[in-house]
Amino acid sequence: MDTIGRGAEPLSHNRKKTSFVKACKPYLFLLPIIAFAVVFVYYPFIRTFLYSFSLVNAKGDIMGFVGFENFGQLFQNQVFGMAIKNTLFLTAMFVPLNLFFSLSCALLANKKRPLSGIYETMFTMPMAVSMPAAAMIFKILLNPTVGIVNHYLGINIGWYTDKKFAIYGILLLCLWMGLAFDFLLFLSAVRAVPEQLMESATIDGAGFFARLFRIQVPLITPTILYVVCTNIVLSMMTAGPVMIITEGGPSRSTTTLIYMMFTSGYQSSNYSQAACISVVTFLLTFGMIALAMFFERKGVYYEQ
Amino acid sequence: MMKAEKAARSSLTAITVIVALLIGLILIFPIIYCFLSAFKSRAEFAAYPPSLWPSSFTYLDNFATALQKTPILRFMVNSLIVSAVGSFGRILLAALAAYAFAYYDFKGKRFFFMLILGTMMLPADTLIITNYLTVARMNLLDNYLGMCITSMVGASQMFMLRQNFKTIPKSLREAAMLDGCGDFRFLAKVVLPISRPVLLTLIVQSFVSFWNAYLWPLLVTNKEKMRTVQVGIAMLTTTSDTNYTLVMAAVSIILIPSFILFIILRRNIVKGIAAGALVG
Repeated sequence: MDTIGRGAEPLSHNRKKTSFVKACKPYLFLLPIIAFAVVFVYYPFIRTFLYSFSLVNAKGDIMGFVGFENFGQLFQNQVFGMAIKNTLFLTAMFVPLNLFFSLSCALLANKKRPLSGIYETMFTMPMAVSMPAAAMIFKILLNPTVGIVNHYLGINIGWYTDKKFAIYGILLLCLWMGLAFDFLLFLSAVRAVPEQLMESATIDGAGFFARLFRIQVPLITPTILYVVCTNIVLSMMTAGPVMIITEGGPSRSTTTLIYMMFTSGYQSSNYSQAACISVVTFLLTFGMIALAMFFERKGVYYEQ
Repeated sequence: MMKAEKAARSSLTAITVIVALLIGLILIFPIIYCFLSAFKSRAEFAAYPPSLWPSSFTYLDNFATALQKTPILRFMVNSLIVSAVGSFGRILLAALAAYAFAYYDFKGKRFFFMLILGTMMLPADTLIITNYLTVARMNLLDNYLGMCITSMVGASQMFMLRQNFKTIPKSLREAAMLDGCGDFRFLAKVVLPISRPVLLTLIVQSFVSFWNAYLWPLLVTNKEKMRTVQVGIAMLTTTSDTNYTLVMAAVSIILIPSFILFIILRRNIVKGIAAGALVG
């Protein structure tokens, strides 16, 4: 009895200690990623919100609370109006057009045919080209004097130099860069539609469009939703091509929200204005995603 | 009747293939144009009417000048370092967290899980200005670590790895623990090797995203020798008084490794894309 009792005490003490270490262990595994998430995602997010309501000096220190004054100034800024208009225009054009083109290409490539390996590779090739490289190529390709596209098409459009067309030039580049990725997503979704379903529909006399809208589209709605949401975010964040090709011009016709944020924050050290633009961009994007999710509840079909 | 139907069907196939090939050609035309233009002399490129094909493929001055006059190789080395460090860090952090979520039950598990996944809701581009101030304060401007440190949280990678770890039987871990194997050793020697296909896909995906990053590296680098390849390539027009053929040669040089990797790793990239869509 005695020996057992004496022996049991240090054992239970030891067990307590190990169980404490054990309880801490999962947190230690999580610590690095949580630390990075807090420092480089949540903290800057909160700080951006604080900045947008504050007076901020050129070093990034908050000098005082000013309420909505920053937003008031921003909304009176004409450039900001153009930036909102341009960004929304890009999004409104890019999302449906990209959906149309990538889904069409996926339907075209759906069945395995002779040479299908070749054109599938061709469709996905632009993915290997990074944005700056693509921007440089398009800048020269669409150049009105030395570029070859205007010559081939027999038109004379200053794609990136005419303020009426510059935004379309940017849109064209965005569509080219975005197609491959979404094509691959749609291709795997379309190929997952059961073959028998399509065949029996054909036997029942359903034409191409009936099969498309009654069977294929309803079955791939989760992919459509995903593509729409990611593309909303992508096009609302458009800045790189603008920065490389047009620098927001000509006459601000291609200035986007993130481009304006970048220039006012980085080049002019106007951090409160940059933060306001960031907040507005975030809220607009978030609103659109919420809208897309709302439609998801109504129309998306999930396989049970 | 049968024959006619068969003929109609095969001609339909032929038309579809031709249409698909034509669309494919249009899509890769900018890439072809870039490679072909790199072989032209300045005068030939400026000639009117513009032609697609160069007069010969032996004119290599543009490539030589691009390699000698611009630090393009240095840019590529920089990008390689940043992408390697960045994707290693991202996958390591994701794997550690995924391990905890897959094998442990603890207080606040759901909260921390949502905290990590929640980072996907905040687009990194809207945070770059405040992150710039943080990184500047940490003295990491013009530094490899500074170029990748803000993108270390890989929520979708963590999610994918957790899904994968969960398929590994728990009894395997219990047996290993009885043999005196610690968590780290079990993770490194058993879990990660078993998850190799997913791991490879995620590494490729992360590497590509670091390699292609533009806005952030542009923001945190001032010295020319620290620039990544994407930042460097975009600055060529401003530095070389728009020598178009030289730019095309430089772009071609940086595209070649991307294409080689793309062809080798195409399957992994496609799998990664499909996996990413599942998380969303």
